[in-house]
Amino acid sequence: MNSYRWSELHEGLTHEFSVRLDETMLDAFRSISGDTNPLHLDPVFAGARGYPNPVAFGLLTSAFYSQLVGVHLPGRDCVLHGIDVEFVKPAFAGDQLHVQGRVHHLSEAYKRVELRAHIRNQRGDTISRAKIRVGLHER
Amino acid sequence: MGDILETLQPIFKDVLDNPALVIRRESSALTVEGWDSLAHINLIAAIEQEFRIRFALGELQELKNVGEMVDLMERKLAR
Repeated sequence: MNSYRWSELHEGLTHEFSVRLDETMLDAFRSISGDTNPLHLDPVFAGARGYPNPVAFGLLTSAFYSQLVGVHLPGRDCVLHGIDVEFVKPAFAGDQLHVQGRVHHLSEAYKRVELRAHIRNQRGDTISRAKIRVGLHER
Repeated sequence: MGDILETLQPIFKDVLDNPALVIRRESSALTVEGWDSLAHINLIAAIEQEFRIRFALGELQELKNVGEMVDLMERKLAR
């Protein structure tokens, strides 16, 4: 786990990681969220709407933005203030997701970090993009 | 320089999510609904990016209203 200090951060600083999306994640998210919509479970239902497989929950894939800030950039000493996410394309179980975030703006007065981030699949298609606002709490 | 207040209007509307909001020099966190501590951080970050200026914490803590913010911005933009 990273633990960037304010003085170590700079605009343009980038971190990335990959994660494989699997069925157990969809099941866990369904259980936690209570979102039982068949689009995320039933292949026939999803197929009738033009998707080759059940679509992964957008907020499930967005959970990786939580890992991005809480573990990688800036890591341990941050608290998430807000996030704006756009879901560009669907993700599916079995996809290899590549998550990348970059420091877009540093606001010294309140130790506020703004990131621009995106998630791409194994084909390089953008699944989602996000503007993330994080506070840094140094001890 | 008188345009600063007008340039701030859409920033305040967007950050405070209130399209009808009109801020004045006398406006402050005490008089504008939704201007809480997190909104304040969002406002400062948005203003810094729009005007390409940077604020120090000490400068911000002295401000009493939007008018004083505009005055501070004028001084920074004149440098």
